Amino acid sequence: MFLFEHDAKSLLQAFGVAVPLGCWVGADGALEGVMPAGPLIVKAQVAAGGRGKAGGIRPAADAVAALEVARVLTAAPLAGHAVAGCRVEQAIAGATEVYLSLTLDASRAQVQVLASDHGGVDIESAAPDALVREWAPINAAAIAAAVGRAAQRLSPASREAVADAGERLAAAFVGLDAQMVEINPLFVLPAGEPARWLAADAKLITDDNALYRQPVLCRLVERAATRYPEAARKWRHGCDYVVVDPTGEIALLTTGAGLSMMLIDELRAQGLHPYNFLDVRTGGLRGDPQRLVDVLGWMRDGTQVRVLLVNIFAGITHLGEFARLLVQAMDTVPAFSVPVVARLAGPGFDEAVEVLGARGFKVETDLARAIDAVRHELASPDVRVPGVLQ
Amino acid sequence: MIPRPPFALSVDRHTPVLVQGITGRAGQRHACMMRDAGTSIVAGVSARADARPVDGIPVFVDCASAVAATGAVASVLLVGAAQVLPAVSEALAAGIRLLVTPTEGVPVHDAVEIRNRVDAAGATWIGASTPGMAIPGEAKLGFLPDVSLAPGPIAMASKSGTLSYEAGFRLVQAGLGQSAWIGVGGDPVKGTRFADLAPWLARHGRTEAILLVGEIGGNEEEDFAQAIATSGLDKPVVAIIAGRTAPGGVSMGHAGALTWGSFGTWEAKRAALADAGVNVCATIDEAVQALARSLGR
Repeated sequence: MFLFEHDAKSLLQAFGVAVPLGCWVGADGALEGVMPAGPLIVKAQVAAGGRGKAGGIRPAADAVAALEVARVLTAAPLAGHAVAGCRVEQAIAGATEVYLSLTLDASRAQVQVLASDHGGVDIESAAPDALVREWAPINAAAIAAAVGRAAQRLSPASREAVADAGERLAAAFVGLDAQMVEINPLFVLPAGEPARWLAADAKLITDDNALYRQPVLCRLVERAATRYPEAARKWRHGCDYVVVDPTGEIALLTTGAGLSMMLIDELRAQGLHPYNFLDVRTGGLRGDPQRLVDVLGWMRDGTQVRVLLVNIFAGITHLGEFARLLVQAMDTVPAFSVPVVARLAGPGFDEAVEVLGARGFKVETDLARAIDAVRHELASPDVRVPGVLQ
Repeated sequence: MIPRPPFALSVDRHTPVLVQGITGRAGQRHACMMRDAGTSIVAGVSARADARPVDGIPVFVDCASAVAATGAVASVLLVGAAQVLPAVSEALAAGIRLLVTPTEGVPVHDAVEIRNRVDAAGATWIGASTPGMAIPGEAKLGFLPDVSLAPGPIAMASKSGTLSYEAGFRLVQAGLGQSAWIGVGGDPVKGTRFADLAPWLARHGRTEAILLVGEIGGNEEEDFAQAIATSGLDKPVVAIIAGRTAPGGVSMGHAGALTWGSFGTWEAKRAALADAGVNVCATIDEAVQALARSLGR
């Protein structure tokens, strides 16, 4: 789960990471936390990098100005990403900007420490000799020691700050089941300031699979479900659902991450418009249609949806059982009345054809033929109002 | 860093395999299905004190007694996500050399620990979040659907279960089967990565061409592209990569399928693979046709 900067900072603060004073301003103008005194900066909260260049970070003299900037920033997408809210933060002057990150190196199964005397820039474009690298096994003491080694190779002015920040970030990395913590920039403050350093920005990616043992993250996902709709759905419903095109015409009831992604790619390459990605995990339904009921309910938000394409290539699932659950779910969400094209392969196929055929659903074994059937449905004049409940 | 032992896999119909978690719902069903596919399922392990044999397969209280009684060298672990780490440790302690962990949802910090323990033991781990592996006509360790399996010349390596089912199904329909099928799985940290397979694929006699079924996120496809040259792999490689049009910053079903910035993107993978001479195809059908052509069919 890719945490917004504001939430990342709140989570890191609990591990002693110092951050500039700040608060969250939602798209509705609602405030979370205490508005600091000016001068301020207003930072759009998006799940993507490069927001500074895209105009997502703007100064504001005081609280009134900051709220106005936040209103403007949340009104429109930033570089294609919806802006969930803004973090309004105390502006900090006179700091030196350095870089520090901890990343799970999946190939080595270790934590990679990356540090640089030159923070605040896109680290991917930094000169390789400006970066200092170390590796450590996943335990807080070893990671902190690796940051300490990296710090010794930085300029003397930033060593102490980086080593100290590293100790706290190491504890956070292990404590939060993180995959990445990046502080860019890390402000090293002039002598005489009460703090030696501040995390000016924070990127935090945590592991959805570890949510069950992360009560603080669970509470965040529960409380801010609209900010993290994908993680919240996975946590509550046990499946992955992402709206990939709010104006899409084809709702997808699919299982398996890779096949679902590939289906979206192939549909789009053919000029069709899928509405959602879904890994419903048919293998985990265990005889209960509720997850299908939930999914069909979400699909009603797609105002342009005109056909439902079911694509299940079953490995562990029995298709007859799945077909009965689907029919039960459709009965529970009768308002979702778009035509259904099902492509099924795997054990229990004949039984599934019988169950779904009795309901008038088209069943295909071949995916290309199923896509043709979808195209046919989209081309036929539709007496139903798209996506609207009757 | 613990040095990685080279990927090794010698599985056939005589390899004695045990199933950890055999008395669970998935364990019971799939132990029998694997046996039907030719696998020598010699034992099960269950924490239940009153466990009875599953369809004639003897059930033991722990791996050590199962291995002592049956000589099992490989294990399929059908246990919950939080139990994978302790179950792997138990299997390694009992001397198991090949571990297949289909379980989805293993925390990534657990996966790091598992990999380090497996590497230290010099064993082979396939998973997690995988339908498993198969040598068609010999043995199947996992869930791979039989309609997608047939003996043949193509080695398949895949991050995604269902996408590989579809690809395998169309290979079989086109009259091409598999020399080996290894689901490396959709997690970011895993036992066997695409690149680990390259030296083995280069030497594997029955493999004439390779189908790589990748997806966005991580850097396995990029690492595999590098490993092609270093391992001397000179067989034709065809790839499909799911997620070309997926949004960034969101895990697309698999924990590993997460891009941010330019890292892990479809274009980065396509470019790295194409530079290494891999034929990256936009659709499954194109990939099947390319494989057929590469074999002169």
